[in-house]
Amino acid sequence: MASGPSVFLLNVSGQIESAEFPEFDDLYCKYSFVYGHDWAPTSGIEEGISQITSKSQGGKQTLVWNFPVEITFKSTNPYGWPQIVISVYGPDVFGNDVVRGYGAVHLPFTPGSWFMGRRPEFTDPKVVAQGEGREVTRVRSQGCVTVSFNVVTKDLKKLGYNTGSSDFPSAQLMPQP
Amino acid sequence: MAEVHIIGQIIGASGFPQHSLFCKWGLHTGGAWKLLSGVVEGQTQVDHPQNDDMAFWSHPIDMHFATKGLQGWPKLHLQVWHQDTFGRNELYGYSFLHIPSTPGTHTLLSPTWRPLGTWQEQICQMFVGGGPQLKSASLIYGGSDRYRLQTVAMGQVHLELTVILRNFERYGVESS
Repeated sequence: MASGPSVFLLNVSGQIESAEFPEFDDLYCKYSFVYGHDWAPTSGIEEGISQITSKSQGGKQTLVWNFPVEITFKSTNPYGWPQIVISVYGPDVFGNDVVRGYGAVHLPFTPGSWFMGRRPEFTDPKVVAQGEGREVTRVRSQGCVTVSFNVVTKDLKKLGYNTGSSDFPSAQLMPQP
Repeated sequence: MAEVHIIGQIIGASGFPQHSLFCKWGLHTGGAWKLLSGVVEGQTQVDHPQNDDMAFWSHPIDMHFATKGLQGWPKLHLQVWHQDTFGRNELYGYSFLHIPSTPGTHTLLSPTWRPLGTWQEQICQMFVGGGPQLKSASLIYGGSDRYRLQTVAMGQVHLELTVILRNFERYGVESS
Protein backbone atom coordinates (compact mmCIF):
# COMPACT_ATOMS: atom_id res chain seq x y z
CA MET A 1 0.00 0.00 0.00
CA ALA A 2 1.55 3.31 -1.05
CA SER A 3 1.76 5.90 1.73
CA GLY A 4 0.43 9.40 1.07
CA PRO A 5 2.65 12.38 0.31
CA SER A 6 4.20 14.23 3.23
CA VAL A 7 5.16 17.41 1.37
CA PHE A 8 3.37 19.58 -1.15
CA LEU A 9 4.99 21.64 -3.88
CA LEU A 10 4.38 25.19 -5.01
CA ASN A 11 5.71 26.08 -8.45
CA VAL A 12 5.66 29.72 -9.51
CA SER A 13 6.77 31.16 -12.82
CA GLY A 14 6.27 34.73 -13.81
CA GLN A 15 7.85 38.12 -14.17
CA ILE A 16 8.28 41.49 -12.59
CA GLU A 17 6.67 43.32 -15.45
CA SER A 18 6.96 47.02 -14.92
CA ALA A 19 6.69 49.92 -12.51
CA GLU A 20 5.25 53.39 -12.30
CA PHE A 21 7.19 55.89 -10.25
CA PRO A 22 6.17 59.43 -11.13
CA GLU A 23 9.20 61.07 -9.54
CA PHE A 24 12.08 58.71 -10.33
CA ASP A 25 13.78 57.29 -13.42
CA ASP A 26 16.64 54.88 -14.24
CA LEU A 27 15.54 52.26 -11.75
CA TYR A 28 16.40 48.60 -11.19
CA CYS A 29 14.81 46.12 -8.87
CA LYS A 30 15.97 43.22 -6.74
CA TYR A 31 13.74 40.37 -5.69
CA SER A 32 14.13 37.77 -2.96
CA PHE A 33 11.84 35.44 -1.03
CA VAL A 34 10.91 35.34 2.63
CA TYR A 35 9.37 32.11 3.93
CA GLY A 36 8.79 30.15 7.13
CA HIS A 37 10.86 27.37 8.66
CA ASP A 38 8.75 24.63 7.11
CA TRP A 39 9.47 25.83 3.59
CA ALA A 40 12.46 25.17 1.37
CA PRO A 41 13.18 26.10 -2.25
CA THR A 42 13.81 23.04 -4.38
CA SER A 43 14.68 24.64 -7.70
CA GLY A 44 14.83 28.00 -9.35
CA ILE A 45 16.65 31.17 -8.44
CA GLU A 46 16.10 32.68 -4.99
CA GLU A 47 17.41 36.18 -5.62
CA GLY A 48 17.84 38.32 -8.67
CA ILE A 49 18.75 41.79 -9.84
CA SER A 50 17.15 43.25 -12.91
CA GLN A 51 18.52 45.56 -15.57
CA ILE A 52 18.35 49.34 -15.17
CA THR A 53 15.43 50.74 -17.11
CA SER A 54 14.38 54.25 -18.10
CA LYS A 55 11.02 55.75 -18.94
CA SER A 56 10.19 56.03 -22.59
CA GLN A 57 10.19 59.55 -24.05
CA GLY A 58 6.67 60.89 -24.25
CA GLY A 59 3.80 58.40 -24.20
CA LYS A 60 3.28 56.27 -21.08
CA GLN A 61 5.74 56.94 -18.29
CA THR A 62 6.18 53.26 -17.45
CA LEU A 63 9.44 51.59 -16.47
CA VAL A 64 9.58 48.13 -18.06
CA TRP A 65 11.74 45.30 -16.67
CA ASN A 66 10.07 42.15 -17.99
CA PHE A 67 12.27 40.33 -15.44
CA PRO A 68 11.70 36.54 -15.11
CA VAL A 69 10.98 34.90 -11.77
CA GLU A 70 10.93 31.11 -11.49
CA ILE A 71 10.96 29.13 -8.27
CA THR A 72 9.62 25.93 -6.74
CA PHE A 73 9.10 25.45 -3.02
CA LYS A 74 8.31 22.37 -0.99
CA SER A 75 6.63 22.49 2.40
CA THR A 76 4.73 20.54 5.03
CA ASN A 77 2.68 23.48 6.30
CA PRO A 78 1.05 26.60 4.79
CA TYR A 79 2.30 28.69 7.72
CA GLY A 80 5.12 30.90 6.47
CA TRP A 81 3.76 30.89 2.89
CA PRO A 82 6.48 32.55 0.77
CA GLN A 83 6.41 36.24 0.06
CA ILE A 84 8.32 37.84 -2.77
CA VAL A 85 10.14 40.95 -1.57
CA ILE A 86 10.85 43.52 -4.25
CA SER A 87 13.26 46.41 -3.66
CA VAL A 88 13.54 49.20 -6.18
CA TYR A 89 16.77 51.21 -6.46
CA GLY A 90 17.75 54.30 -8.39
CA PRO A 91 20.44 56.97 -8.51
CA ASP A 92 20.35 60.01 -6.23
CA VAL A 93 21.57 63.43 -7.32
CA PHE A 94 25.23 62.37 -6.76
CA GLY A 95 24.90 59.15 -8.74
CA ASN A 96 24.85 56.76 -5.75
CA ASP A 97 22.30 53.95 -5.66
CA VAL A 98 19.63 54.57 -3.10
CA VAL A 99 16.56 52.54 -2.31
CA ARG A 100 13.35 53.97 -3.74
CA GLY A 101 10.96 51.51 -2.18
CA TYR A 102 10.31 48.04 -0.79
CA GLY A 103 7.25 45.91 -1.33
CA ALA A 104 6.23 42.39 -0.42
CA VAL A 105 3.36 40.19 -1.52
CA HIS A 106 2.49 36.55 -0.78
CA LEU A 107 2.85 34.23 -3.74
CA PRO A 108 -0.59 33.20 -5.02
CA PHE A 109 -2.33 30.32 -3.26
CA THR A 110 -4.31 28.66 -6.02
CA PRO A 111 -3.22 27.43 -9.41
CA GLY A 112 -3.80 29.81 -12.27
CA SER A 113 -2.61 33.09 -13.68
CA TRP A 114 -2.36 36.09 -11.40
CA PHE A 115 -1.68 39.70 -12.28
CA MET A 116 -0.97 42.00 -9.37
CA GLY A 117 0.11 45.55 -8.66
CA ARG A 118 2.18 46.23 -5.58
CA ARG A 119 3.09 49.50 -3.92
CA PRO A 120 6.65 49.82 -2.67
CA GLU A 121 6.95 52.09 0.33
CA PHE A 122 9.67 54.63 0.67
CA THR A 123 11.29 54.45 4.08
CA ASP A 124 13.09 57.41 5.55
CA PRO A 125 16.64 56.06 6.09
CA LYS A 126 17.13 58.05 9.30
CA VAL A 127 14.29 56.22 11.03
CA VAL A 128 15.52 52.81 9.89
CA ALA A 129 18.99 53.60 11.22
CA GLN A 130 17.52 54.05 14.71
CA GLY A 131 16.69 50.33 14.71
CA GLU A 132 13.15 50.68 16.02
CA GLY A 133 10.30 48.34 15.21
CA ARG A 134 7.81 48.64 12.40
CA GLU A 135 5.32 50.40 14.68
CA VAL A 136 7.36 53.57 14.78
CA THR A 137 8.41 53.66 11.16
CA ARG A 138 7.08 56.46 9.01
CA VAL A 139 6.93 55.68 5.35
CA ARG A 140 5.85 57.46 2.26
CA SER A 141 4.31 55.29 -0.39
CA GLN A 142 4.88 56.26 -3.97
CA GLY A 143 4.99 54.26 -7.13
CA CYS A 144 3.65 50.86 -8.01
CA VAL A 145 5.24 47.62 -9.31
CA THR A 146 3.27 45.16 -11.43
CA VAL A 147 4.04 41.45 -11.27
CA SER A 148 2.37 38.50 -12.92
CA PHE A 149 2.60 34.88 -11.83
CA ASN A 150 1.53 31.47 -13.05
CA VAL A 151 1.07 29.01 -10.19
CA VAL A 152 0.89 25.24 -10.05
CA THR A 153 0.60 23.24 -6.83
CA LYS A 154 1.12 19.53 -6.22
CA ASP A 155 -0.35 17.36 -3.47
CA LEU A 156 -1.84 20.29 -1.57
CA LYS A 157 -5.28 18.67 -1.77
CA LYS A 158 -3.93 15.19 -0.96
CA LEU A 159 -2.65 16.50 2.34
CA GLY A 160 -6.13 17.73 3.21
CA TYR A 161 -5.71 21.44 2.44
CA ASN A 162 -8.56 23.31 0.81
CA THR A 163 -7.43 26.56 -0.76
CA GLY A 164 -10.66 27.40 -2.51
CA SER A 165 -11.80 26.99 -6.06
CA SER A 166 -9.13 26.13 -8.58
CA ASP A 167 -11.44 24.82 -11.27
CA PHE A 168 -10.85 27.87 -13.39
CA PRO A 169 -7.76 30.04 -13.39
CA SER A 170 -8.53 33.59 -12.37
CA ALA A 171 -6.74 36.80 -13.15
CA GLN A 172 -6.99 39.23 -10.26
CA LEU A 173 -6.12 42.88 -10.44
CA MET A 174 -5.14 44.46 -7.13
CA PRO A 175 -6.98 47.60 -6.09
CA GLN A 176 -5.33 50.71 -7.42
CA PRO A 177 -6.48 54.23 -6.62
CA MET B 1 -8.35 18.40 14.52
CA ALA B 2 -9.43 20.80 11.84
CA GLU B 3 -6.99 23.55 10.95
CA VAL B 4 -7.37 27.04 9.53
CA HIS B 5 -4.67 29.20 7.96
CA ILE B 6 -5.23 32.92 7.56
CA ILE B 7 -2.59 34.46 5.30
CA GLY B 8 -2.63 37.87 3.66
CA GLN B 9 -2.09 41.57 4.12
CA ILE B 10 -3.67 44.63 5.60
CA ILE B 11 -3.19 46.58 2.40
CA GLY B 12 -4.05 50.12 3.51
CA ALA B 13 -6.78 52.65 4.15
CA SER B 14 -8.68 55.24 2.15
CA GLY B 15 -11.30 57.89 2.71
CA PHE B 16 -9.89 59.36 5.90
CA PRO B 17 -9.67 63.13 6.35
CA GLN B 18 -5.90 63.18 6.81
CA HIS B 19 -2.88 61.05 5.91
CA SER B 20 -0.17 59.81 8.27
CA LEU B 21 -2.18 56.79 9.37
CA PHE B 22 -1.37 53.53 11.13
CA CYS B 23 -3.48 50.57 12.09
CA LYS B 24 -3.59 48.44 15.24
CA TRP B 25 -5.14 45.06 14.59
CA GLY B 26 -6.06 42.04 16.64
CA LEU B 27 -7.78 38.71 16.08
CA HIS B 28 -10.38 37.34 18.49
CA THR B 29 -11.39 33.67 18.55
CA GLY B 30 -13.63 31.50 20.70
CA GLY B 31 -12.56 29.01 23.33
CA ALA B 32 -12.35 26.04 20.96
CA TRP B 33 -9.60 27.67 18.87
CA LYS B 34 -5.90 27.26 19.53
CA LEU B 35 -3.17 29.35 17.92
CA LEU B 36 -0.44 27.09 16.54
CA SER B 37 1.80 29.62 14.77
CA GLY B 38 1.85 33.34 14.15
CA VAL B 39 0.78 36.35 16.17
CA VAL B 40 -2.78 37.48 16.77
CA GLU B 41 -2.18 41.19 17.10
CA GLY B 42 0.08 43.86 15.77
CA GLN B 43 0.51 47.41 14.61
CA THR B 44 1.44 48.69 11.17
CA GLN B 45 3.90 51.43 10.33
CA VAL B 46 2.73 55.00 9.76
CA ASP B 47 2.21 55.76 6.10
CA HIS B 48 2.20 59.24 4.64
CA PRO B 49 1.48 58.88 0.92
CA GLN B 50 2.84 61.54 -1.33
CA ASN B 51 0.71 61.18 -4.41
CA ASP B 52 -2.52 59.44 -3.53
CA ASP B 53 -5.42 59.52 -1.18
CA MET B 54 -4.84 55.92 -0.11
CA ALA B 55 -2.37 55.07 2.65
CA PHE B 56 -0.54 51.76 2.09
CA TRP B 57 0.75 49.51 4.86
CA SER B 58 1.06 46.08 3.18
CA HIS B 59 1.24 44.58 6.66
CA PRO B 60 1.67 40.77 6.42
CA ILE B 61 -0.65 38.45 8.30
CA ASP B 62 0.03 34.74 8.77
CA MET B 63 -1.78 32.71 11.44
CA HIS B 64 -2.34 29.01 11.89
CA PHE B 65 -5.16 27.74 14.13
CA ALA B 66 -6.42 24.34 15.19
CA THR B 67 -10.06 24.15 16.19
CA LYS B 68 -12.48 21.73 17.77
CA GLY B 69 -15.62 23.69 16.95
CA LEU B 70 -17.15 26.34 14.72
CA GLN B 71 -18.25 28.67 17.52
CA GLY B 72 -16.08 31.72 17.94
CA TRP B 73 -15.02 31.81 14.28
CA PRO B 74 -12.14 34.34 14.11
CA LYS B 75 -12.97 38.03 14.01
CA LEU B 76 -10.39 40.64 13.05
CA HIS B 77 -10.74 44.02 14.76
CA LEU B 78 -8.99 47.14 13.52
CA GLN B 79 -8.23 50.58 14.89
CA VAL B 80 -7.03 53.26 12.49
CA TRP B 81 -5.04 56.04 14.13
CA HIS B 82 -3.68 59.31 12.81
CA GLN B 83 -0.25 60.57 13.83
CA ASP B 84 0.05 64.34 13.50
CA THR B 85 3.15 66.42 12.93
CA PHE B 86 3.68 66.80 16.67
CA GLY B 87 3.77 63.00 17.13
CA ARG B 88 0.40 62.81 18.90
CA ASN B 89 -1.86 59.86 18.10
CA GLU B 90 -5.53 60.46 17.47
CA LEU B 91 -8.15 57.78 16.94
CA TYR B 92 -9.66 57.80 13.46
CA GLY B 93 -11.84 54.73 13.37
CA TYR B 94 -12.77 51.29 14.63
CA SER B 95 -13.87 48.35 12.53
CA PHE B 96 -14.21 44.61 12.68
CA LEU B 97 -14.84 41.82 10.19
CA HIS B 98 -15.22 38.08 10.36
CA ILE B 99 -12.51 36.12 8.64
CA PRO B 100 -14.20 34.56 5.58
CA SER B 101 -15.22 30.96 6.08
CA THR B 102 -14.83 29.87 2.47
CA PRO B 103 -11.34 28.88 1.40
CA GLY B 104 -9.63 31.08 -1.16
CA THR B 105 -8.40 34.61 -1.59
CA HIS B 106 -10.76 37.40 -0.57
CA THR B 107 -10.47 41.14 -1.16
CA LEU B 108 -12.14 42.85 1.76
CA LEU B 109 -13.18 46.40 2.50
CA SER B 110 -13.97 47.20 6.11
CA PRO B 111 -15.84 50.45 6.92
CA THR B 112 -14.76 52.29 10.07
CA TRP B 113 -16.60 54.43 12.59
CA ARG B 114 -15.60 56.55 15.52
CA PRO B 115 -17.52 57.62 18.61
CA LEU B 116 -19.26 60.97 18.39
CA GLY B 117 -18.97 63.14 21.47
CA THR B 118 -21.18 65.98 22.66
CA TRP B 119 -21.29 69.10 20.48
CA GLN B 120 -18.77 70.76 22.79
CA GLU B 121 -16.41 67.83 22.33
CA GLN B 122 -16.88 68.02 18.58
CA ILE B 123 -15.90 71.69 18.46
CA CYS B 124 -12.86 70.93 20.60
CA GLN B 125 -11.96 68.09 18.27
CA MET B 126 -12.12 70.39 15.28
CA PHE B 127 -9.55 72.76 16.76
CA VAL B 128 -7.33 70.61 18.91
CA GLY B 129 -7.90 67.04 17.75
CA GLY B 130 -8.43 64.10 20.05
CA GLY B 131 -11.93 62.88 20.83
CA PRO B 132 -13.66 60.10 22.73
CA GLN B 133 -12.26 56.59 22.53
CA LEU B 134 -13.59 53.24 23.66
CA LYS B 135 -12.23 51.98 26.96
CA SER B 136 -12.46 48.36 25.95
CA ALA B 137 -11.69 46.89 22.54
CA SER B 138 -14.39 44.25 22.99
CA LEU B 139 -17.04 46.78 22.00
CA ILE B 140 -15.51 46.90 18.51
CA TYR B 141 -16.40 43.29 17.75
CA GLY B 142 -19.17 42.70 20.31
CA GLY B 143 -22.76 43.77 19.88
CA SER B 144 -24.19 43.66 23.37
CA ASP B 145 -23.51 47.22 24.55
CA ARG B 146 -23.55 48.94 21.18
CA TYR B 147 -26.90 50.64 21.76
CA ARG B 148 -25.24 53.10 24.10
CA LEU B 149 -22.94 54.45 21.40
CA GLN B 150 -23.41 57.26 18.94
CA THR B 151 -20.89 57.15 16.10
CA VAL B 152 -19.92 58.82 12.86
CA ALA B 153 -18.62 57.08 9.74
CA MET B 154 -14.97 57.41 8.75
CA GLY B 155 -12.89 55.87 5.95
CA GLN B 156 -12.31 52.22 5.09
CA VAL B 157 -9.56 49.63 5.47
CA HIS B 158 -8.53 47.46 2.51
CA LEU B 159 -7.43 43.89 3.18
CA GLU B 160 -6.61 40.82 1.18
CA LEU B 161 -6.88 37.58 3.11
CA THR B 162 -6.51 33.98 1.96
CA VAL B 163 -8.16 31.27 4.00
CA ILE B 164 -6.89 27.68 3.79
CA LEU B 165 -8.89 25.00 5.57
CA ARG B 166 -7.63 21.55 6.43
CA ASN B 167 -9.54 18.40 7.28
CA PHE B 168 -12.89 20.16 7.45
CA GLU B 169 -14.46 17.48 5.23
CA ARG B 170 -13.33 14.81 7.67
CA TYR B 171 -15.67 16.25 10.27
CA GLY B 172 -18.52 16.66 7.83
CA VAL B 173 -18.23 20.45 7.67
CA GLU B 174 -19.11 21.95 4.31
CA SER B 175 -17.55 25.31 3.62
CA SER B 176 -17.64 25.64 -0.15
